[in-house]
Amino acid sequence: MAIIGIECSAHTFGVGVVKNGKILSNERRMYKISDKGMIPSKLADFHSEGAGTTIAAAIKNAGISTEEIEAVGYTKGPGLGASLRIGYLSAYTLSRKLGVPLIPVNHGIAHIEIAKRLNAMKNPVALYVSGGNSQILRMVEEPDRHYNIYGETYDIGVGNMLDSFARGAGLNPAWGSSVAKAAAGGRYIQLPYTVKGMDFTFTGLMTNALAKLKSEQLNDVCYSLQETAFSMLCEATERALLLTGSRELVLCGGVAQSARLKEMADAMAKPHNVKVGTLSDEYNADNGAMIGIVAERIFLSKSKIETGHEIDQRYRLDSVKVTWR
Amino acid sequence: MKKISEGAESIVYEGTVAGIRCVIKSRIQKLYRIDELDQRIRSTRTKNEARIISSASKAGVNTPRVLLIDGFDLYTERIGGTTLNKMGRIGTNERQKIMQGAGKNLALLHSSDIAHGDYTPANIMVDSGTVYVIDFGLAEQTKSVEEKAIDLLLMKRSVEKSDYKTFESAYVHASSKSNAIVSRLHEVEMRGRYQTRTLAV
Repeated sequence: MAIIGIECSAHTFGVGVVKNGKILSNERRMYKISDKGMIPSKLADFHSEGAGTTIAAAIKNAGISTEEIEAVGYTKGPGLGASLRIGYLSAYTLSRKLGVPLIPVNHGIAHIEIAKRLNAMKNPVALYVSGGNSQILRMVEEPDRHYNIYGETYDIGVGNMLDSFARGAGLNPAWGSSVAKAAAGGRYIQLPYTVKGMDFTFTGLMTNALAKLKSEQLNDVCYSLQETAFSMLCEATERALLLTGSRELVLCGGVAQSARLKEMADAMAKPHNVKVGTLSDEYNADNGAMIGIVAERIFLSKSKIETGHEIDQRYRLDSVKVTWR
Repeated sequence: MKKISEGAESIVYEGTVAGIRCVIKSRIQKLYRIDELDQRIRSTRTKNEARIISSASKAGVNTPRVLLIDGFDLYTERIGGTTLNKMGRIGTNERQKIMQGAGKNLALLHSSDIAHGDYTPANIMVDSGTVYVIDFGLAEQTKSVEEKAIDLLLMKRSVEKSDYKTFESAYVHASSKSNAIVSRLHEVEMRGRYQTRTLAV
C-alpha cells in the first residue's frame, strides 16, 4: 500500500510515491526561469502539459501498480494560483480514477516534516527558507497541536530577494545560486542589517545592495548581501533555539541548498550543543515526496479530512491543526 | 565578576569597578558571522544602547545610569531589587503600583521617541517601591507609532488582563499622544499572525 504526493505550488511539478515513510520515487519537472520570472499563463500550460507523464514516471519508478495507491496527497497552498490549480486538478482526477481519498497538504509543513523525518528528529526548530517564505517554526501542543511561527520575514522571502537582486544586477537569475557564485572572492561592504527579535526584513537590504552596484564591485556586493541576509537568519534562529530550549534544528526549503547557509547554521548551533539536520538538494527543492510523506501521516491518523477551499494561495502554516505524530 | 545571565547575544555579569557596583553587558563574538560584520553589529548595538539609556534618563525614566563603554562591553550602574517576572505572589495593591509605574515609564520613553523593543516583566525591575526599566538591547530611537504599539502588545501578552488595564490607563494618563498608539495596537492585534495564533510566553 502506498501514497502518492503531488506538489505544484510554483515552478516545479513534483510527484513522489511514499510507503511507510520511505520514499519509493520522486520525479519532477521544472519551469525554466527567465529574466521575466514566472508568467502565470505559461506556468499553467507548462504544468498541465507535463502532469500526466510525471505522474506515470513516479508510479513506474516506484515499482508499484496503481492498485496499490491508497490515497492522493496534493499541495493546497500557499503558492501561485496558476500552479496550485493544475496540481489540484491532476490530483483530483487521479483520485477519482483510482477511487481513493484526496488529501490536502500545506506546502510549508511538508518541507519541515520531510526534513524532520529524514533526519530522525523529534521536534526540531525549523528554519524554513525558500523563494516566497522565510520563517522560524516549531511544533507546540497548546491550545492544539500546530506549528508555531516564532519569527518570520516582514516583507519578502530571502530567495525572492536574492533572485530580484540578481535580475537587477544583470546576473542570470538561477534560484539564488547566481548570487552565491558571484560572491566568490568578494570583500565586505556595509549594508543594512535588520533583525527585530526573531523577525527580519529584506527589502531595505535589497534596495540598498542594488544602489551600491553603482559605486562598488559586483562580487563585493553579492558577497556582502549573502553574508548579511544569512547572518540575520542565523541570529533570529539562535534566539528561537534559546527561547524554546530545543537541541535540534532543521534547515529546509529551496534556499537551504546553500552551502554557506549550512556552514553558518552549524557554527551558530555548535556552542549550544544543537544538532543540525539538513537534506540533500533533491528534498530541499519543491518535491512530491514531501507531500506524500505528510499525506501518509494524515491518512494513517484517520482524522477527518477537511474539504472545500480546494486551494488556498495564502494558506497559513500556523492555521493547520496537526493531527499526526 | 559573577555571571548573572546569558542570552543569545550577550553575557551579563555583575561586579565592582573603581568601588562602584555595576552590571556589565558583554556582547559576545558570533563565529557564524564574518569578522567585519560581527564587530560592526556588536559595536553599533553597544553604542546605540548606551545612547538610548542616556536619553531615557534625561526624559525622566527610572533606569540604571551608563558608567562606561569599553569596546563591546557596556557598564551600567547596578540597582538592587527584583524583576517583575521573578517577584512571585504579591499583593494586589503593590502589583497595581508596579503596573502604574511601568505604564508611566513607557509613556515617558515614547514621549522622547524611544521604543523599548522588549517591554516585558523580565525588564521591569522593582527596588523598594521604585519601578525601573532595564535592558535597552533592542531599543530604538524612533517616531514610529507601530514600534511603540508593539511595546504595549508585548506587555499585554505577558501579564494578566486586569494588570494590563492598570498599565494601559497609567500609560494613557502620562502620555499626550497615546490615542494613535493604542488604536494602532488594536490594528496590530487584528493582523494575520496575531489573530490566528499568539505565542504564549
